[in-house]
Amino acid sequence: MAVKSIGAYDFPSRSRQELYGDDQLVHVWFQGNPWFCAAACYRAPKAMRWADFWSQMVVPWAEEDPGFDPGATYAWTLHGQPMTPDDDTSLEDLGVVHKDVIGMQVLSG
Amino acid sequence: MTIAPKAPRAIKKLSMKQRYQVLTRDLDWEPTYVDPKDVFPHTEFEGIKIHDWSKWEDPFRLTVDSYCKYQAEKDKRLYAVLDGFAQGQGHLSLTDASYLNAMKLFLQGVTPLEYQAHRNFAYLARHLNGPGPRFASLCQSIDELRHTQTEIHTLSNYNKYYSGFHNYQQMHDRVWYLSVPKSFFDDALAAGPFEFLIAIGFSFEYLLTNLLFVPFMSGASFNGDLPTMTFGFSAQSDESRHMTLGLEAIKFLLEQDEANVPIVQAWIDKWFWRGYRVTALVAQMLDYMLPRKVMSWKEAFELYFEEQMMKGLFADLAFYGITPPRHVGDAIAEKEILSHQVYWILYQYSHAAAFTTSVPTEEHEKWLSETYPDTFDKHYKELWDKERENIANGGRHFVRGLPQLCQVCQIPMGFTEPGDPTTICQRESEFKGEKFQTCSNGCQWIFEREPEKYVQAWLPVHQIYQGNCGGPTVPDVLEWYGIQDGDGGEHLGSVDDKNWQDWHNDTVKEGN
Repeated sequence: MAVKSIGAYDFPSRSRQELYGDDQLVHVWFQGNPWFCAAACYRAPKAMRWADFWSQMVVPWAEEDPGFDPGATYAWTLHGQPMTPDDDTSLEDLGVVHKDVIGMQVLSG
Repeated sequence: MTIAPKAPRAIKKLSMKQRYQVLTRDLDWEPTYVDPKDVFPHTEFEGIKIHDWSKWEDPFRLTVDSYCKYQAEKDKRLYAVLDGFAQGQGHLSLTDASYLNAMKLFLQGVTPLEYQAHRNFAYLARHLNGPGPRFASLCQSIDELRHTQTEIHTLSNYNKYYSGFHNYQQMHDRVWYLSVPKSFFDDALAAGPFEFLIAIGFSFEYLLTNLLFVPFMSGASFNGDLPTMTFGFSAQSDESRHMTLGLEAIKFLLEQDEANVPIVQAWIDKWFWRGYRVTALVAQMLDYMLPRKVMSWKEAFELYFEEQMMKGLFADLAFYGITPPRHVGDAIAEKEILSHQVYWILYQYSHAAAFTTSVPTEEHEKWLSETYPDTFDKHYKELWDKERENIANGGRHFVRGLPQLCQVCQIPMGFTEPGDPTTICQRESEFKGEKFQTCSNGCQWIFEREPEKYVQAWLPVHQIYQGNCGGPTVPDVLEWYGIQDGDGGEHLGSVDDKNWQDWHNDTVKEGN
């Protein structure tokens, strides 16, 4: 169902990808960890390597949890499917698109 | 011979009802040389059919002069209390400085909505076809403006002594958690006149008012805030008229044409959930912010919503073919977890807020355990235990980053799956190739019903990342928000807490 309006009603998204240039928004959802009330939202370059995304964005956020172990093994998901991120692969090449939610769960400490 | 002049005949005074009839409805006329559609161009596009505007029963059976007289008397009483409280340093008799966090939230989040309601009811007072609803809208518009003013005056006294009250208007337009009530009301303002009546007149003022407005006033009375309590009483008679208007609006629409029923039902479905999500802020206020508790969120929800609305109102509305709101089951299922989840969100982001938070005290935690026997100890106590240990080790849980927000209610996505309090609920929709996440079945349903509207949402996190909020760092954004040192963060040791301790220690010293 569409908006019922008195006139034409067609406005662009206020968070469309083009507003972020070569970057995009990426969410990281630390599943099974209630310390963080919600998934984190980052603005990250599409070309950012996974290793950099992990060390420059995810770790500084996650280490605020006193129980966080950056050396643990994590299971990753993207679009509901398991993902095996390679350190040198860019977010874009991993298939991460604007406003995607990457799931992250501790497998073992 | 002269004829004695006739003695002037006593003119019979009209009753209030007759004066109302003469001065409001009888001043109406049918346009003849202009098409009525041109005079009232906004009352058809929503699909609502009205056959007889005179069937509207007006809850404001007053004339403007008598309305002003009553309101002036109420104002006089209120301002006398405000003066007495200010002169007697009444703020020192509050239960604790932390109580005022509830009032900061009220001034930042609710008072600006009163003003927006004033604006839109003024619009309805021009644009509805019938003189009855136009006059009712005019009165409610003036009521809402009076509430805005009296709330500002009531709380302005606290601004002399406490943080967080100084910049509420700018904050309302900019700060992340205030985008929750703001976007709710903007959604209603951007709707047609009939949807607004159901959104605000019915859903906000009738269906949810005891969960939105009343808890703040009850909280005031339990925590020594005489001015706010008096404001609450001053607004009470207005609010009961507003409730009547809300109920009248829905019955009027349902009785005018059967084709209106599914349209109204969809609006009830939408606006129940929109309003309910705003009450999440009230839920945490009741369970966590008030030093002396009035009642728990769970009790308030059971009494005011499940008993009064589900068993009372919706039993009546069934006559018209109206069913309880879609997703109401999810709201009922959340009643034992909602406040804990929301306070956990506010706690870890209060460094970017204009109120303070703190770990529940031992006594408070005992109350939470007893009040929420099935959920608090099981799911939330361990988080607070972990945070106590964190604090003992020199930490304080403030998240270093920005959260994912729901595209519709704009609350950080911290709500959980129905029936599973341990798994965050993530819903995703796609519109024109772009992804949009929502926090619940209710918000997703609302998004997918009108995606063209919600893609325009001004999501605070996204706006920060687009560079529209003063700069990239936390201090940049706080400055742009108008938040100053002492407005937010941890309550213990805050400016308000230190002042409170000093003032009360001085009292003890002087007493000795």
